[in-house]
Amino acid sequence: MSLTLLTGSEAAAYGAMLARIEVLAYYPITPAFPAMERMNKFIEDGEMNTRFIRAEGDHSALAAALGASLAGSRTFTVTNSQGLLYMTEVAYHTAGLRQPVVMAVANRALSAPHSRFPEQGDAISQDASGWIQLFCENNQEVLDTILQAFKVGETCRLPVMVNYEGYIQSHTQEEVDVPQLAKVDAFLPFTRVSALDINNPQGINTVTSPDLYMDYKYHQNDAMSQALEVINNVAAEFSRDFGRDWSGVIEGYRMDDADHALVTMGSTVSDGRIVIDALRAEGKKAGLVKIRSFRPFPAAAMRAMLKKVQYVTVIDKNIVFGSGGALGNETKAALYGHLSIPVKNYICGLGGRDFRPDELKQVMALSEERAKQTTEYEWFGL
Amino acid sequence: MRKGGELVKMTLKDLPQQDLFGPGNAGCRGCGAAIAGRQAMKVLGARTIITMPASCMATLSGLNQKTAWSIPFYHTLFEIAPAVSSGIRASLEAQGIKDVNVVSWAGDAGTADIGFQSLSGAAERNDNIIHVCYDNEMYMNTGGQSGSQTPIYAMTSNQQKGKRTGKKDMLKIMVAHDVGYVASATISHPLDLAEKFKKAAAHDGFSYIHIMAPCYRGWNIPTDQSVATARKAVESGFWELYEVVDGKKTRTHEPSFIPVSEYLMSQGRFKNLSTEQVKEIQDAVNSHFGRKEAK
Ligand SMILES: Cc1ncc(C[n+]2csc(CCOP(=O)(O)OP(=O)(O)O)c2C)c(N)n1
Repeated sequence: MSLTLLTGSEAAAYGAMLARIEVLAYYPITPAFPAMERMNKFIEDGEMNTRFIRAEGDHSALAAALGASLAGSRTFTVTNSQGLLYMTEVAYHTAGLRQPVVMAVANRALSAPHSRFPEQGDAISQDASGWIQLFCENNQEVLDTILQAFKVGETCRLPVMVNYEGYIQSHTQEEVDVPQLAKVDAFLPFTRVSALDINNPQGINTVTSPDLYMDYKYHQNDAMSQALEVINNVAAEFSRDFGRDWSGVIEGYRMDDADHALVTMGSTVSDGRIVIDALRAEGKKAGLVKIRSFRPFPAAAMRAMLKKVQYVTVIDKNIVFGSGGALGNETKAALYGHLSIPVKNYICGLGGRDFRPDELKQVMALSEERAKQTTEYEWFGL
Repeated sequence: MRKGGELVKMTLKDLPQQDLFGPGNAGCRGCGAAIAGRQAMKVLGARTIITMPASCMATLSGLNQKTAWSIPFYHTLFEIAPAVSSGIRASLEAQGIKDVNVVSWAGDAGTADIGFQSLSGAAERNDNIIHVCYDNEMYMNTGGQSGSQTPIYAMTSNQQKGKRTGKKDMLKIMVAHDVGYVASATISHPLDLAEKFKKAAAHDGFSYIHIMAPCYRGWNIPTDQSVATARKAVESGFWELYEVVDGKKTRTHEPSFIPVSEYLMSQGRFKNLSTEQVKEIQDAVNSHFGRKEAK
């Protein structure tokens, strides 16, 4: 194992390089652009045999990646915030066409007001798009998850977003083990599927009448449901081959005898581990539930994990206006009718507002204090 | 065509009998766009992948599991046909697949309006694709609204008193992109159209072909007059047939200069034109061709 200091952006670029993507298309945006430039350097240095499409906009970037995927290539793109919003139409279309494009998203707050700082609202805006959405807690997980994403996407014929937060992850160096290419090749073989094939002409996306449309959507959703198991299997395979276990769709940390569960995703998970350890040292029975797959959402697995707890605190770095935090809402929906535990949902760290481990600890204390209050969600750190 | 080293003009006999597009399409009677597609495919041939944004042509191209194309056909989102074509070309290159035409085929909105950004991007990158605009000068798939390709004074469903601004010159705009091959064409001159597709297919880089494709509904003409109307557009000088190869423009057909009114007044969409407005259009044609006055 050879450890290198890599930013999240570099880790994403290494992931794409090791996955031997054939076509790369993107449109620059902050804070995703260092990942893009790193891949161009790999291409220019001959370390990556990849065709690069210098798209004139994010919408076209995903369209070009989609075209290449339909023609049979493994393709990749990177974006965030406004770029992701601009891509939205193509994102839904890509999922409907069942193309396993992989996209890295360096999560950033959405305008207005203009912000270039971290937040997960951009990814949440795509929660009904039909993309598998995986969230990473550190840079090693970014690299490893990109490799897994191709395998998951190509198995389920679904596109996959790999999320890491802008700056907190995209611009922060951490020790990362870059796996050997030969090992990645063995883990991630490529089987070409060409929907647009000159030797087997087909009409793609013809006008679809009510007698078929709904059935296509049923199958698309079914593939999403099945992805839960595929993500778990791929993570297990990865752990066998590379010795790193990212535990699939969900992970429980010190949850066995926990009576208070902290539920979150992304970089807050690594802070969460520190906080849980501290609380345990104080004799408190606290545990952490890391959501790695927000889409598909592992509702049943979450229920199983939260069965014995008294308190649930959900941290959301996003706000669904007029409704609450996206993860809070999912958690409540997963528990409803099965378990009657109060779920406290906190909106934290929007638009890059600092949210430190000591504050996370405060929120958990607050959550226990107010467990009986029926507020739908609260803002922390205003 | 080349015969014994000499360049010989193609004849209809040189075009294959087989239709790679057409059978089973759901176009209206006399659909100019469908005629253009049929003519172009005679030259492009079976090793062609076609992408087509939201439009009449995409809608008439297939329903559910049926397609009117015998080649790979992909109905794209409205704005992205050139961008997906760039992606397809990149993938074919990565796979080492050669001798395939990658064609984005869009209506005038999918080309000049909502599709303009991705078109301009692909042209500037000089990606090896052919973009075709079939131009019925309106948004027919949504009922016939005005767009940038609607000519001045034409009545449309949302400008019932006629459009007040002129047609954006897409051919000039594409020439300004400094691409290797740009041409205008129309369905009344199939051999001229065929020659142009041949050149575009042979060109290694971005090509643009803009086809005037009359639409009986939008233009308010009898269904059997699409081809005749296109011919009037050409012979009056209203629609000039030309090509620009590496920046050099050549007219490919000399019009006989019938009065422009013969073209305009045969269509319901121009029926409200005043004598002055017709004269204004005639003057513009005269000045474009450097002629003193109409016959
Ligand atoms: C993003 C988006 N906006 C609007 C539409 C609706 N729409 C579909 S086709 C069309 C007009 C197409 O016009 P044109 O490109 O000229 O082709 P035509 O139908 O006239 O042949 C419009 C407005 C759409 N499909 N997608």
